[in-house]
Amino acid sequence: MGADQFEIAVNLLKLIVIFLAMVQLVPILVWAERRGSAFIQNRLGPNRVGPLGLLQLLADAIKFIFKEQFIPANAKPFLFKAAPVIALVPAALAFAAIPLSTPVEVSTFELFGRAWGPYVFEIQTVHMNVGIIYILGVSSLGAYGLLTAGWASGNKYSLLGALRACAQMVSYELALGLSIVGALILYGTFSLNEMVQLQEGPLAFAWFGKQVTVGWLPNWGIIFQPLGAVLFLTAAFAESNRLPFDLPEAEGELVAGFHTEYGGFKMLLFFMGEYGHMLVSSALFVIFFLGGYGIPFLTQDTVFQSLLNNGFSPTVSSLLTSLVFLISFLMKVFFFLWFFIWVRWTLPRFRYDKLMDLGWKTMLPWGLMNLFVTAIAVYVMNRG
Amino acid sequence: MIQQLLPVLILFVVVIAFGTGMILLTTLTGFKVRATQAKENPYECGVAGQAPNSTQIPVKFYLTAISFILFDIEIVFLYPWTLIYRETMPEAGLYLLLSMGFFLFVLVFGLFYEWKAKALEWD
Amino acid sequence: MLIDVSGLLFYLLAGLAMASALSVVLVSNPIYSALSLALTMLSVSGLFFHLEAYFLAGVQLIVYAGAVVILFVMVLMLFDLKEEKKAFSGGLISFMFKVILAGLFLGVVSSVIGWTFKGTPTPRQALQDGTAQTKELAIRLFSEHLISFELTGVLLLVVLVGAIVLAKAKGGTHAR
Repeated sequence: MGADQFEIAVNLLKLIVIFLAMVQLVPILVWAERRGSAFIQNRLGPNRVGPLGLLQLLADAIKFIFKEQFIPANAKPFLFKAAPVIALVPAALAFAAIPLSTPVEVSTFELFGRAWGPYVFEIQTVHMNVGIIYILGVSSLGAYGLLTAGWASGNKYSLLGALRACAQMVSYELALGLSIVGALILYGTFSLNEMVQLQEGPLAFAWFGKQVTVGWLPNWGIIFQPLGAVLFLTAAFAESNRLPFDLPEAEGELVAGFHTEYGGFKMLLFFMGEYGHMLVSSALFVIFFLGGYGIPFLTQDTVFQSLLNNGFSPTVSSLLTSLVFLISFLMKVFFFLWFFIWVRWTLPRFRYDKLMDLGWKTMLPWGLMNLFVTAIAVYVMNRG
Repeated sequence: MIQQLLPVLILFVVVIAFGTGMILLTTLTGFKVRATQAKENPYECGVAGQAPNSTQIPVKFYLTAISFILFDIEIVFLYPWTLIYRETMPEAGLYLLLSMGFFLFVLVFGLFYEWKAKALEWD
Repeated sequence: MLIDVSGLLFYLLAGLAMASALSVVLVSNPIYSALSLALTMLSVSGLFFHLEAYFLAGVQLIVYAGAVVILFVMVLMLFDLKEEKKAFSGGLISFMFKVILAGLFLGVVSSVIGWTFKGTPTPRQALQDGTAQTKELAIRLFSEHLISFELTGVLLLVVLVGAIVLAKAKGGTHAR
């Protein structure tokens, strides 16, 4: 590693910035949700506080900070306060392993009379070589936040809501894990960075032994695995307890499910966890099926070379290349976040037994079928 | 090695510090708790506590969790298989396909049995 | 750096694992016990990471911390265990059980400590890069250990059937 102070400092800063970016996404998403839902429901959303109502959530957050924090009599005090923090951890840890853009290569430079060597900084907190396994493992810890909150509230309705939410989350984790196995067969790697790099360039596949290239389509996963993509998206909705799968936290059902007894900032932390899960699911969908941070018909080298030829130094052109691909990634992810919000305010809610039926009796068999067909197709196509 | 572990641990500490800090902040700056009868009782749609606190134990949670563990283990076996399937295609493709096929068949049979035995029902 | 970061991390993770494992057996409330078990699984996963067994660390998270302990916690939350707690707290038979188990455990720990400090440590084989290691694991799973692998599938089926039969015998799989 050869860790010297500059590299450590930059990596620490990167860690904190990426985490805070995820935290700051919540106000933006809530604003988008409130304005978007208002638009869909043909009414105005918040538009008083700040331009277009953008400062609404800042006002809400300040209000939350000054609220009275009471704990119900039957609650267990330490766990009651710890549950929102437990709910925040999985989403933050999962987001750490997602590659946001191409690595930035910094060539040697002089500062404080010392030569700082060439560095490569990756635009992600940690580069896991078993990326997807780590993310699945950490996401499955999300159930602990629910269970702790439901139990520590001392309210039997919260507990029932938490157990139902946990059972739902657990059933759809299976579907999630199964839906990407098809894609994993095609990529042959667990590392998310490699998966993005494998989706560069035009569409290329083997057809009964011959290599076929279709020049006008990008090499994205969704063309190879449409069913897998649909299954993944559905499972992602259920994982983050979003409509149409949000029965465990629906108003009018179990009041607010496992976070009935929570108010103020603790509830805000729960929502950070939920939106964090949404963010991680959208990012994973983009990486698996939409080419990650890649831009179709434009490879990293092309952009880098054109910037170099325009007279920028290698460090700056690497930085700008990274920025370009970061914007591409963010645009794709934001589209999916909007898609989450759009679906929420369009579709009706699933009844709980229909929800569990969907998870076990529909998504598992289809996921297995997808896996079989992919495995057999890869075998047949590569053998000719 | 630690290059992958250390950022995760540091991030874990940062997240917990952030969450705890926020909660401490609200405890310090919030209004002092004035405990009233209504605030202390568990919330039941606004009506004071009615049903007794013990509920019947539904067995479906247990069955769902056990089925989840079993199928999760199956999926975990699938992951390394996907790593080597395409790579060793020329020499071991059919062998890998058949061996995993048998494994999956056994578990699909289990799913089928569970379905028929009405163990996946919720109402 | 002046400090040995790798060693420090190991002691941190091992200490956390031991503390939470002790908490599992020493805490009286069963749900706190189960949550401490979850923390133990997390620390063991961290230790696997430290040993560069990345796939195993991830699987530990997915299966143990994310499935098995969740089963424990879910089921424990459904029960009201006051009578069970009282039954195990006092009385002569439970006291004898505790003494015997403590003695057995002490025997295991002392033999492990003695075995660790005896003889020369074997040099560690150079480990390949993480991904190559997982592929090697996969290849061995399907070549040397194929029978075990298929038998695991059958074992999982047996567990599934057993759980369903048990649930049916105890009061039906239909929800109440």
